[in-house]
Amino acid sequence: MVTLLQQIVNGLSAGATYAVFAIGFTLVFGVLNVLNMAQGAIFMWGAFLGLASVIHLHLPLPLALLPAMLGSGALGVAAELAIFRPLRLRSAHRWMGLVASLALARILVAAAQEVFGTQVVRYPDSPALAHALMVGGVRVQVLQLAIAAIALLLMLGLAALLDRTRTGRAIRTVAFDPRVAQLVGISVDRATLATFFLSGALAGAAGVLLGALFNAVSPFMGENILLKGLTVLILGGLGNVPGAMAGGFLLGVIEVLSVGYVSSAFRDAIGFGLVFLILLVRPAGLFGRAEAARA
Amino acid sequence: MNQILASYGNLINLVLLDGILAYAVWLALSANMFSFATGGFMAIGAYVGVVLTMRLGVPFPLAVVAAAASAAGVALALGGTLLRLRGDYFALATLAFTEVVRVIALNWESVTGGALGIVGIARSTETWHLAAGLGAVIYFAWALRRSHIGRAIAAIRADELPTAAMGVDIFRYRLALFVTSGAVTGLAGALAGHMNYFIGPNDFGLLRTIDAISYSILGGIGVLAGPGLGALVLTALPELLRFSSQLREILVGALLLGAVLFLPRGLAALRLPAPSARRALAVEKGLP
Repeated sequence: MVTLLQQIVNGLSAGATYAVFAIGFTLVFGVLNVLNMAQGAIFMWGAFLGLASVIHLHLPLPLALLPAMLGSGALGVAAELAIFRPLRLRSAHRWMGLVASLALARILVAAAQEVFGTQVVRYPDSPALAHALMVGGVRVQVLQLAIAAIALLLMLGLAALLDRTRTGRAIRTVAFDPRVAQLVGISVDRATLATFFLSGALAGAAGVLLGALFNAVSPFMGENILLKGLTVLILGGLGNVPGAMAGGFLLGVIEVLSVGYVSSAFRDAIGFGLVFLILLVRPAGLFGRAEAARA
Repeated sequence: MNQILASYGNLINLVLLDGILAYAVWLALSANMFSFATGGFMAIGAYVGVVLTMRLGVPFPLAVVAAAASAAGVALALGGTLLRLRGDYFALATLAFTEVVRVIALNWESVTGGALGIVGIARSTETWHLAAGLGAVIYFAWALRRSHIGRAIAAIRADELPTAAMGVDIFRYRLALFVTSGAVTGLAGALAGHMNYFIGPNDFGLLRTIDAISYSILGGIGVLAGPGLGALVLTALPELLRFSSQLREILVGALLLGAVLFLPRGLAALRLPAPSARRALAVEKGLP
């Protein structure tokens, strides 16, 4: 029982970072109906920027999130300006966006190798964060708690932003229908830029959090999270923000449970097996309505 | 001639192999199927081929045929279930397929050798095998475009709804193309498996898949020569320039990005005159 609880705690803290990443991913899909495959590379840049802020600016981890999110948000904006907007103006076929963003991801990964080297780097030791609390026989690191708390704050912040602010309302209107948004005088271009900034910033934040949680940052960390993000996207339903949040936690728990009770070798296979199954049975995702299925 | 072969033999083989993969991707793209299954089919072809020749002593040509047939069989099962998904959902499901195949290859140690892969494979693949394979695939693509099937496929790509209304069974055409594409990819996998003494699970992952798609898109899928040209440029150019691997990646990425943004119909469209009425069908709706 205690082992099970322990694994669920570990799964939830990893799942919190998956959820943050997947929300950024699904936000762009929900608003613009495109998949930004460079999201994994933006996540990786966020992790490096956060690490650089910790090492060179001596910022504590929560503050290091800020430069990381600004930088990766800017990368998200760059992806929109350089790729998605020109393609949209040309009404290019949708796979062009996939291919172009994959190309951008390659450039970003190679650039990170040039700048940061190809080695796996670590966050400096922090006794305060590594300290573990025992709660009813379950070992909970302060780091895990901090990461879960930051992730929850980010998600609540995004929800409030989408719900309460002008920008958020503009984004939701564009998601509903860009033509309607234009009719009521919303700048679709600006709402789109805001979406890409938020999406990139969330990816960067997830990068810092996951890099700190597993204490490893490398130029190649983006591919794995991209695949996890896609899994969560399918679990929650493409474009479904609450679904991505729930799906992120779910995937985190499923992963640790499959490592604990099946085999570590099949951790990723179980995730992708789920994707398969859900696409066949419920393409709109676990939490979606059937009408949400988009072609 | 012999000197060229000696110094660039590997590169020529690689270009030919990538050419085959590019046309396999083209077959799927020609009916609007954006599939990430290339890596999975290639892995199936490679492992089936190598296990047959090494463990069971099956002659190489027979093993290649069996590899292509197994990949086609898997494509039939996969396409039969996944092709009712549309657009991004189909793409993501095929991506999951490629990853599942990779994870199985990584863990089924008794057959695939796990992460260490299979070593000491006889290098049975000759340059002319690859050239013949590429020639056959190009001929098939050429003949297909001229046939009534090709016209049905062009109609599917242009607009599905009226095509279905005219009595074209879109699902069957798509499935047939997907299975053909799978068979060709499996064949390429078996040939690739017998090129380098070694195969491992990461030879056929997502990266290989994206590369194969890139050849087709860069070259342009509206023109028969497109995928081949894309494979030639993306495989040979970075090798010949001998950059560091990072610079090479940046170059490949920038080339691809530039092509998608500024040459929507691919490199092959560069030297073509304005699209004729016949080709205009494919250009509609911003198709490449």
